[in-house]
Amino acid sequence: MDYDCLLNLVSELGCRLMESGAEIYRVEDSVHRLLQAYGVTTGEVFAIPNCVIVSVSIDDGRPLTRVRRVPSHGTDIDLLERYNALCRTLCVQTPPLHEALDALKNVPASRRTYSLPVLTGGYCLAGGAFCLFFGGTPRDAVCSALCAVVICLCLAVMDRMGTNQFFRTLVSATAASLLALGSAAVGVGENSDLIAIGALMLLMPGILFTTAMRDLMAGDTVSGVSKTVEALLIGCAIALGAGAALWLTHLVGR
Amino acid sequence: MTELFITYILPCIFAFVACMAYSLAYNIHGVGILVCAGGAALGWFIYLATAPLFGSDLLQIFVASLVISVYSEIMARVRKYPVTAYQMVALFPLVPGGGVYYSMEHAINGETSLFLSTLLHTLGLAGALAVGVLLVSSGARLLNAGARRRRRH
Repeated sequence: MDYDCLLNLVSELGCRLMESGAEIYRVEDSVHRLLQAYGVTTGEVFAIPNCVIVSVSIDDGRPLTRVRRVPSHGTDIDLLERYNALCRTLCVQTPPLHEALDALKNVPASRRTYSLPVLTGGYCLAGGAFCLFFGGTPRDAVCSALCAVVICLCLAVMDRMGTNQFFRTLVSATAASLLALGSAAVGVGENSDLIAIGALMLLMPGILFTTAMRDLMAGDTVSGVSKTVEALLIGCAIALGAGAALWLTHLVGR
Repeated sequence: MTELFITYILPCIFAFVACMAYSLAYNIHGVGILVCAGGAALGWFIYLATAPLFGSDLLQIFVASLVISVYSEIMARVRKYPVTAYQMVALFPLVPGGGVYYSMEHAINGETSLFLSTLLHTLGLAGALAVGVLLVSSGARLLNAGARRRRRH
């Protein structure tokens, strides 16, 4: 048994699962199952949002450990489903290790993503629908959809520039709230608050918050707490952005 | 009849459309989109329908988040996909986005007591949402562990 190759395979899988936004228990469970499928019962795995550590004892008792640093990541459900499905098949078929590693490396090539125009359309529709959902008029919804487009473009541009999530959210929230307040001041929109809320919903860290709660309940307290703090930080960024826009319009209005 | 439509069905349709469009941001494809959006509409319907029963949005959010979590656990088992995928997007309309904005508006206007009460209410809503998720996820763990034990014996 080539333990080096096996360790590389399982740590790569763990790292990639984490990068696509899996919960901690899923990462640990998948690595564990894969190790067991290849006949290693002495494997240990520990994962937190930024790091995956896998350790096995080889035949003569020497321990082998691999640490993978996971870069800051978002959530990609399509990729997560693919890695999850691959893990299931690997556990059942247990192909030779280099084939398994190749299969793992080929997963991103076969994935589907939405192009920026489609994504912008999605944000636009979602912003408009959320505005109506919170009780806005059709005119508000149009303004909110515009704000959502601004958010999507802001996020895309700043993502390419490699800025962190807090700053990205802060700038997008400020831009969207300014546009919302501006459109109401010009007279296109009717309720500036509903326009802003419809668009700001798209930035809310609801997803991070739910995974944090699930991690906490699964007993992964470190990860749960760190994700909760991350969610609170993003919430603060939204509040600060909206606050900045409100303050600016107060200054201009005076 | 039209009144019923406007108060109950129309918001659910908006939630459905919003979540359908929003699931693109998380790279969800195919039937999964409809499953997520269906969960969101179901959750919001529960929220609205329980209003006369409880009369408190904290309890309504709690019950809605319970129902959505159960729905997504079932859907995940039926379709053999990760649970989070459905739960995350379906819970989205319950996230107190308005609260964050209004508390900031009060803060900027210098209305400190309104700011504090809105902020606390927002945190309470987020807490109610979290408790719903927590309960179902630990319940599902219990069932899973039971099933595994039975298989081993």
